[in-house]
Amino acid sequence: MTSLRRAWHQLLSSWYTRAPWWAALYARWGLAPVGAAVLPWAAPRVPFHHGRIALVTAAGVHPRSAPPFDMENPRGDASFREIPGDVAASQLMITHDYYDHAAADRDVNTVFPLERLRELAPLGVRVAPRHFGFMGHVLDAERERLTRETAPEVARRLVADGATHAVFTPG
Amino acid sequence: MGLIAREVERHGIPTVALSVLPAATANTPAPRNVVVRFRLGQVLGEPGAVVQQRRVLWDALGAFAVITRPGGVIELPYRWKRSTYVDPLARGTGVP
Repeated sequence: MTSLRRAWHQLLSSWYTRAPWWAALYARWGLAPVGAAVLPWAAPRVPFHHGRIALVTAAGVHPRSAPPFDMENPRGDASFREIPGDVAASQLMITHDYYDHAAADRDVNTVFPLERLRELAPLGVRVAPRHFGFMGHVLDAERERLTRETAPEVARRLVADGATHAVFTPG
Repeated sequence: MGLIAREVERHGIPTVALSVLPAATANTPAPRNVVVRFRLGQVLGEPGAVVQQRRVLWDALGAFAVITRPGGVIELPYRWKRSTYVDPLARGTGVP
């Protein structure tokens, strides 16, 4: 039963990718809006090309050695995985049934550009020691857990690492 | 993703969020938003397209200097294979 549900989600995600207008409709009407009125704002303390940049992705990226995200809970999984800044791309994988990650399976930089970030070193960009992977499908109680627990914890770790900027990427 | 970005921003770290779905960005905006008209699951570009990916990442980083109000959105001008991608490493200074 479980594998049937996962297969159904994977089929749907493949469809989204081939018919992105459907995903756009879902984004417009299916997602609970969160207004811009409460948006916090932190001004950069240093220019980005002198910064220590961290990546945070909702594309379900995690080290192969870390446990996969929970694909059995229909509400999603609000947990996160740490990704070391010096990890080899070949040691990363994706667990996420809600988008078609065939391209990212071939080259993870299509959703998590850690190798591209390292290459910007000649321009002054530094790579933060830790990056973070989430699985972007979180609803109801898991969404609550994200806002109360896991997102603040990632923020604290980024502060502890001295990250000056964070770039977020979707699946 | 906008929710996580907001929390990080609340802790004093500026954020920029890439998106391939402008409607999702409008619904749940992050403090700074960069829309790329690329495919789902390929927000940085094609597999193996190193210069394309590097260009998009560099332009996303540039949003830290360009967006000056909460919820600001910029859209990158690229249209997949129809666009030319200038490598930021090949631009002399490379720094805007």
